[in-house]
Amino acid sequence: MSIIALGIIIAVKVVVILVIILGIGAYLTLVERKVAAHIQRRPGPMVVGWHGLLQPLADGIKLLTKEDILPSSANPILYNLAIVMALVPATLVFAVVPFGPEVHVFGYDIKPILTDVNIGIILAFAFGSLAVYGVALSGWASNSKYALIGALRKAGIIISYEVVITFAALGPIMLAKSLSTYDIVMAQIHQKVWYIFLQPISFVVFVFALLAETGRVPFDIQEAEAELVTGFTVEYGGMKFGLFPLVEWYVEVLSLSSILAVLYLGGWSPLNIPFIGFVDPFFFLGAWSGFIWFIIKVSILFLLVLWLHWTLPRYRIDQITTVAWKVMLPLALFNILISAFIAPLLRG
Amino acid sequence: MIKKVFEKPLNFLETIFFLDFIKGMSVTIKQAFTKTITTHYPYEKLTAPKRFRGFFGHKTVNGLEPQPAFDEWAERMKVEPQPSKSRCVVCYLCKKACPVPDLFEIDGKKLENGKKVVSVFNMNLMLCTFCGLCVDACPVDCLFQSDIQETASFSRKDAILNLEKLELIGKVWQDRREQEPDRIWIDDEAREKLWRENKLNLRKVDNA
Amino acid sequence: MQATEKTLNEIKAKIPYVDVKKEKLTSVVYVQKELLFNVLKAIKEDFGFKLFIDHSVVDTLEADNRFEAFYILYNVDTKERILVKTKTEHALPSVEKLWFAAKWAERECYDMFGINYEGHEHLVRAFMWDTYSHYPLRKDFPLGGYETVELPSLNESTFGDNLSGTMNYKRTHTYVPTLKDLEYTERNRIKKKAQVVLNWGPLHPGTHGTMWFLFDLEGERIVQTDVILGQLHRGVEKLAEHEPYQQFLVYTDRMDYISGLCSNQAWTVTVERLLGIEDMVPLKAKYIRTMMSELQRINSHLLWLGTYALDLGALTIFLYAFKEREKIMDIIEGITGARLTISYTRIGGVRMDLPQGALDVIESFVKFFPKELKDWEKILSRNRIWVKRNKEVGVLTKEDIYFYGLTGAVARGSGVFYDIRKLEPYDAYSMVDFDVPLGENGDCYDRYLVRVEEMRQSIRIIEQCLQKLKTMSPNEPFMAESGDPKKLKLTLDGIGLKVPAGEVYSSGENPRGELGFYINSKGGLKPYRVKIRPGSFYNLCVYPHLMENRYIADAVTVLASLDPVVGEVDR
Repeated sequence: MSIIALGIIIAVKVVVILVIILGIGAYLTLVERKVAAHIQRRPGPMVVGWHGLLQPLADGIKLLTKEDILPSSANPILYNLAIVMALVPATLVFAVVPFGPEVHVFGYDIKPILTDVNIGIILAFAFGSLAVYGVALSGWASNSKYALIGALRKAGIIISYEVVITFAALGPIMLAKSLSTYDIVMAQIHQKVWYIFLQPISFVVFVFALLAETGRVPFDIQEAEAELVTGFTVEYGGMKFGLFPLVEWYVEVLSLSSILAVLYLGGWSPLNIPFIGFVDPFFFLGAWSGFIWFIIKVSILFLLVLWLHWTLPRYRIDQITTVAWKVMLPLALFNILISAFIAPLLRG
Repeated sequence: MIKKVFEKPLNFLETIFFLDFIKGMSVTIKQAFTKTITTHYPYEKLTAPKRFRGFFGHKTVNGLEPQPAFDEWAERMKVEPQPSKSRCVVCYLCKKACPVPDLFEIDGKKLENGKKVVSVFNMNLMLCTFCGLCVDACPVDCLFQSDIQETASFSRKDAILNLEKLELIGKVWQDRREQEPDRIWIDDEAREKLWRENKLNLRKVDNA
Repeated sequence: MQATEKTLNEIKAKIPYVDVKKEKLTSVVYVQKELLFNVLKAIKEDFGFKLFIDHSVVDTLEADNRFEAFYILYNVDTKERILVKTKTEHALPSVEKLWFAAKWAERECYDMFGINYEGHEHLVRAFMWDTYSHYPLRKDFPLGGYETVELPSLNESTFGDNLSGTMNYKRTHTYVPTLKDLEYTERNRIKKKAQVVLNWGPLHPGTHGTMWFLFDLEGERIVQTDVILGQLHRGVEKLAEHEPYQQFLVYTDRMDYISGLCSNQAWTVTVERLLGIEDMVPLKAKYIRTMMSELQRINSHLLWLGTYALDLGALTIFLYAFKEREKIMDIIEGITGARLTISYTRIGGVRMDLPQGALDVIESFVKFFPKELKDWEKILSRNRIWVKRNKEVGVLTKEDIYFYGLTGAVARGSGVFYDIRKLEPYDAYSMVDFDVPLGENGDCYDRYLVRVEEMRQSIRIIEQCLQKLKTMSPNEPFMAESGDPKKLKLTLDGIGLKVPAGEVYSSGENPRGELGFYINSKGGLKPYRVKIRPGSFYNLCVYPHLMENRYIADAVTVLASLDPVVGEVDR
């Protein structure tokens, strides 16, 4: 392809990803509030727009028009850098997520993934690890005891669960014999089995690690309102404050759910009957049905995360780290052992 | 008489299959598909019950006073009852019954025929505890509590009730709600959202 | 009940230098100030009066030995209560080695009366800030305080307000503490031993009110804690000396504002016992009071459950509990007219009879509630996270209960059978059938189970009261009629009610503990001294002991399971 066509394709992909991620991220706040409200037998936002549809807009305008404060003894460079360090890595994960199969548009073959590097999974986890910087820097730069305690707790959790998540993900990687996200999905399609059926232990461990990395109940100890009153974001105001939950709770959940869908639920593949084949009610859309299936899978995972959030109580910090190192890591290693026996039996 | 409380700990199967989480989540999801219970204030409002202890009022002389108590007290305190004006006989019993000494400011003025009539009756509601002891003390069923509860305002003057405001509240109440029966609440339909799941069926309002 | 003649004679035989006397309503042991510690030790250890109920002081304004101090103790095995009295001019020996609860009671007496306690480990003021120089409950301190500061902002006239006379505020005000005073109090309260001193409160969403905790932290571990109280202190005991008995009822609901009716009932029963008219109260009034009090108990426990689950992260239980609470408040509003500060009971009965339809509504509530409770238990009781957060946290042994003067669900969670409704029944509690739940280990999980079970037992009591009330005709009296209106004037408004001289201590089982009233009356319309024994105050005094060497995250769990309400702690 010519350079210009390549440039246009890449630009379109970048714009689509940014718009979708940040736009959907804002509307996910409304989804969460409505789901949480109906679980609690009340209607949620109803006044702004029809049944609250313009509420994220109202929230955004409110947060943007608030005063931009800086505590007098805080470090201004680190204070502002922390927000950037939180937002950027979370968005970058979407660079390696495949949204669907290869499609033909205007005569070109396009893979709907921004960069199909052959170490995609490692990049995804590396970006997830960079999220620690946002937390640690904001906790230190706020110069407040509550922020410091919250930041230290969260940093401890993220570091422990990074190890767990990487070891848990090694299972499907061994079965697929590749580190590229696109190839893992293709491997599941060729082998005609979603890896969730072969790796249930690893799936459960990955879900818990997802909840811990993104700071959702039962692991949201750093924002435990009763003790720390929003933890490390306590000295932030306005949109800077709004950005932290947006990134943590919505964008990171979306990105890690996408990785979960890619690793265990077969990415864009339709419904699977193990070892037999695929059933696709949307077959009339041709290659575009893959996008619909991907969106459905990520939505179901997001709703599952919400459902857990509004039901369970939360753990204490020492219990979280104990569970990570003493229970989940051995389970993940045990899972790797079993996968080592299963992997040669699968074709392709 | 004594009941020991304990709960069984989780057994092994429940631990690995997360049955405790699943049971909890089933309760939540069932609640998510039931109707909501909230009243969308201020677009929907509930009516306060008849016994509600809101702002005060003076009932006016309209022929429905408690007899023979009203005539006896008007005689004893030498007060001339004036139709469509407050029933107050300036006996100061409400001021004695109130836990706050400075809340009431009551005075009467003499008329030409030697009898008195109430002229000043100020209540400082910033000090009031809304306990109702003054209502219990009034011997002629004059002072009472209405259902006015939305009383936010911008100045302190609106919290001081004087005789005209009290008479106005009383007159409006007597027209609006005096004839209601003494039922626990009167607006069954508005409360239906909250009480539907209890399958409450009260007998219909019998207009006494 | 009060200690029997036999016990008093045994005490006199064993310790000959005390005086014993059995009055109509109390059993008293008089002792000299110097021998106080040994006498209390003997009474505690040899005669079994292990549970500390209360300690305070009465200012008698006599020429010598102006203050009369009293200690109220309870024997759980023989169900006897005893009063130990002594007189002093300005100092007393401290008994904090015998009961830790006495340490806090002594701080309060030092704060309010200026009595110096010898041997007290850290005598600071309980409610006022440390640089305050007066002693408010002494009889020579005026009711309104010393108004020395001018605060013109109270009288700004905007919008043309020109309120005259009593309808406006005064221009001068009592001294208001500044930031310097508060910082001095904070630094004086705790001696820093570890890395960081963290202020938890006074304005914090997690502390159940305006309590100010100081944590001395080493990383995430708490090395020592202390509590600064008094942010909500309103001087209720001082006001009681200037209010007639019926009018004081209004202040009792504002102390424990979540279960106002139970506090009203406790005060009314105390005055009725002092007057001797307990049997004159009509049966209907007793059943109505019991039923409403049990509804308030469910109300209070639902708030406790909601905020407990909220603090620990299960956010939906909060709203489910408030849905049921909304129903109870609707019932109470329909019957009494108010939702929070109720003042429904009167000395001799209740204010009004039940309206039409009340019994049907209560019956439909009672049928549906146990199902809801079972659903919520599915979310919480066997959930592994809940169990892990609550088991082995905040363990209290039976000896701790006696040493710290704990009552209510906290005592029952550790296996001590202490329920005033069974031990000293009042109103209709002797005529209904119910069980008292007891826990085994005394940790937070047991206290949770005990309170949930108490809600079920309350439903049982309400059902029995409903059955009884349905059989009563609407014309039965709900207020006692006095036989001799000149001697005893019982009216709905309470004007002119004279109470004979004497003293009484009587308590009621509030959802939070035992709320007791000690009234010392010298005849007349107004009491001479009222001491309120708050359940939450003594339940809170075990908090520093429980928090040693625990994480900050447990601070929330332990505090929520003790269930304090600041209105009652600070009065």
